[in-house]
Amino acid sequence: MTKPSTRNPILNPSRRALLRMGGGIALSAPFVSRAWAATTEINMLAWYGHGEPDMVADFEAANNVKFVPKYYAGGDNMLALIAQSPPGTYDIILSDAEFVQQLNLAGYIEELNPADYPFDDMLHADFQQFPGHWADGKLHSLILRGGHLGVSYNKNAISAEEAASYSCFWKPEVKGKVGHFDWHLPSLGMMSLYNGNGANLWDIDDAAWGDVQETTMGLRQQVGGFFDYGGTFNSLKNGEMLAMCGIGDWITGVLEKDGAPVGSVIPKEGGIQFTESYCIGKDSEKADIVKAFMQHMLSPAGQVKSAQMGAYPGFCVTKGGRAALIEQDPKEAARSHQMEGMSNDPIALINEGRIHYRDIPKQQSLEDWNDFWSEYKNA
Amino acid sequence: MPLPNRPKTTFSAYAMTWRLPIIVWQLIFFVGPVVFMVAMSFFLVKNYRMTEAFEFVNWSKMMSKGYFWDSYWHTIWIATLATVCAMCLAFPAAFALAFKASDNTRRWAIFLLIIPFFTSYLVRTFSWFVILSESGVVNAMLGYIGLGPYTMLNTTFGTLVGYLTLTLPLVVILQTVSMANIDKTLIEAARNLGCKPAATLWRVIIPLSKSGLIIAAVFCFILSFGDFVAPFYLGGSQEPTLPILILDTTKSGQQWPRAAVVAVIMMATLFTIAFTAIALAYRKRASK
Amino acid sequence: MSSNRTQNILLPIYVGLIFAFVFAPIIFSIIFSFNSQRFPTIPLGSFTTEWYVKILNDPDVWEAALNSLIVSVSTAFIATFLGFCTAYSDYRYNFRFKGPYLALILLPPTIPLIIMALAMLAWLSKIGVSGQLWSIVIAHSVLTAPFAMAIIRLRLHQMDPDLESASWNLGGTEWGTMRHVIVPFCKPAIVSALCLTAAVSFDEFAVSWFVSGLNKTLPVLILEIVQGNIDPQVNAIGTFVFLTSMTLVIVAQLFFLSRQTKSSI
Repeated sequence: MTKPSTRNPILNPSRRALLRMGGGIALSAPFVSRAWAATTEINMLAWYGHGEPDMVADFEAANNVKFVPKYYAGGDNMLALIAQSPPGTYDIILSDAEFVQQLNLAGYIEELNPADYPFDDMLHADFQQFPGHWADGKLHSLILRGGHLGVSYNKNAISAEEAASYSCFWKPEVKGKVGHFDWHLPSLGMMSLYNGNGANLWDIDDAAWGDVQETTMGLRQQVGGFFDYGGTFNSLKNGEMLAMCGIGDWITGVLEKDGAPVGSVIPKEGGIQFTESYCIGKDSEKADIVKAFMQHMLSPAGQVKSAQMGAYPGFCVTKGGRAALIEQDPKEAARSHQMEGMSNDPIALINEGRIHYRDIPKQQSLEDWNDFWSEYKNA
Repeated sequence: MPLPNRPKTTFSAYAMTWRLPIIVWQLIFFVGPVVFMVAMSFFLVKNYRMTEAFEFVNWSKMMSKGYFWDSYWHTIWIATLATVCAMCLAFPAAFALAFKASDNTRRWAIFLLIIPFFTSYLVRTFSWFVILSESGVVNAMLGYIGLGPYTMLNTTFGTLVGYLTLTLPLVVILQTVSMANIDKTLIEAARNLGCKPAATLWRVIIPLSKSGLIIAAVFCFILSFGDFVAPFYLGGSQEPTLPILILDTTKSGQQWPRAAVVAVIMMATLFTIAFTAIALAYRKRASK
Repeated sequence: MSSNRTQNILLPIYVGLIFAFVFAPIIFSIIFSFNSQRFPTIPLGSFTTEWYVKILNDPDVWEAALNSLIVSVSTAFIATFLGFCTAYSDYRYNFRFKGPYLALILLPPTIPLIIMALAMLAWLSKIGVSGQLWSIVIAHSVLTAPFAMAIIRLRLHQMDPDLESASWNLGGTEWGTMRHVIVPFCKPAIVSALCLTAAVSFDEFAVSWFVSGLNKTLPVLILEIVQGNIDPQVNAIGTFVFLTSMTLVIVAQLFFLSRQTKSSI
């Protein structure tokens, strides 16, 4: 961080000294005027954290732009938000990979030129041709990062052996202490895995879907609450919840860094990968600068930033990014197993077939799943 | 109240200048949205886009869902519970402020009770989150006397605490004001005629402040019925109330028409309850 | 007699408990805003002003504060104007459909905010004014006009009914009387209404959250932090919002009191 950044000045000693001298009010003027200055505003629709200073401040300062983020939780939520806004509202959309197809079908996003991005540097062949990102040989979305979802648990309540299976959610000792991240897709996906659907977890017929519902309902008496991002965080941290379904390292990783006795593992039934990808909003007038931002985030420096993202971590998808992370922040690289040869290296897990990319239900509609989720919450 | 000697030339430019702005404004920005929302409940959603139509499919769909009715009755139940708790908890305090406190103390008390309205409800809820959690303030204090820890968050109790945070100050204020306005000589008279304190309370004070008390209860019910913060953050969505259902429905795949169905039913329910209660208050007074 | 004495001891204690319940979250919120722990627990961590430094240095917070200011001031003027018109019409005139007329302005507070939010966003996007600061101003004016109306109506109620006629008899026009008699008489109530509507608007989050699009006000920012990367910044911003709103309320209260002392004129 050599560039003078107005957005992240806490770490900046000179400003701190200034603050001690001048107090808050003296400082206020430059910041207000900065917010008003004739910078280009880039409207971003993303999961929480992607428009925060740790991700965008450097780019903002270097290019005289300002990101205006709107945050959502869950792909259906994202689609609803776009549908409510006039075309061209969002310049950049950070989508869950499995929803890119919908975005494309609805005509919400622009085509991308693959030559602009480092596709030959990807850590895994799947990332070059990620499902749904290409249609008719045209690229519509650029993979940024991923993360794995499995059993997230409090180490004082559940042992590592127990956490090796989703069955630990049913452990009597954690009755009323199992939480859900309040989105149907990851939680129901895990239940489908627990039912032994393996690689076909999203492609289940109605009988198997009925079984998934039954299994899920069986978990209901263990459940102590349904949480958004902030609530998931808080309740795992203060011990209100001892296990969490539907999440993974993206939550526990942050808490771990904060010293909480929590962790996430990929159980034997398999885990789910969330994949986050950038898209350029249809009719955006700022497509060029957005493209530059996406190139920046796929560069080694950008990938390191993404891996260290304050809100929640995600693993690097490029070789260059991983190498830079290992060099610059070996601690985080080791914590998130992004070193060659580590047994639970995310890329190795994919190669072993233990990871399934998150997807939308194939034989039922999203609405069916969502309806069941409402029913489940009310049970 | 209009004064009898006032001119009735009510269509002068002058009169219209004062009468029309609110009519125009509220027709466009209040009646418009509400009517549109009712209309929206008949719209269709295709590929995440709403199309204008007149179909009953949203209504039949919501009505046939077991979870909708579970939510409905649960919301009525918990809002009623919150109302009863708030009314009962507030009453002794309001009684003390109305009859035992000096005018000055009462004015200060009411001023203090207004303060919470200007503190972010979200921030207060977040505070409760920390106070009530298992490692929180209450359990730490209970721990000193060898009790607990108790689970208070993500329970009906948590939701209730949230509702009371929202409604209790208002209920105390309304109750205090309605009781303080009672003509004190009537109470004196009852006492002099040998009426016991309890009987004075039941036969004199409560009937005389009835309309104020009912209004307090109605507002408490409305606020609890429509709040999504307490049941979500303090109740953990364990039993999702209708406002949470509305949020979930708007979030998932642009199902605004269905959210509108829930909203219309909520409004119908509230109006029924409010009008019944207010009619009740009025009838008592007429029979005085 | 003895029951009366126990009453005199127990009731104040009870009142104290009620106040403790009402103020506990406010006081703890202020305490947590100076507490070093990201997730406050007992015992507390060390004293810090870190969260205040953080919000003071965050341009998003300043922008949200500015948005809140614009919204609440605009709302205050529109709502107070509407409230004044309605209060005066109600005070002076009798006309057909007066019941529905009053219902039109008084009903909005009885509709849950989440429903207002849904209806407002749907309607405002339909007529093409959603996603702007003005959308929030419109919605807030509808919500707060009844409060302005109530305050001003109370004041008009205290006005000597002959005052207006006296002015006319002395040759004043209706407009002149409005300007020289009625508005000055209502001034304290108008100031109170301005402050109260501004304060209500400054703290409203549900409707703002729905209709604001990308323009965040402070309460919406708080909601986003609570939903997202929750930390004590929430408490620091909350304390700041609290102080702002309180200032407005106190100003309103001072005018309200001065009104009471002057009402004998």
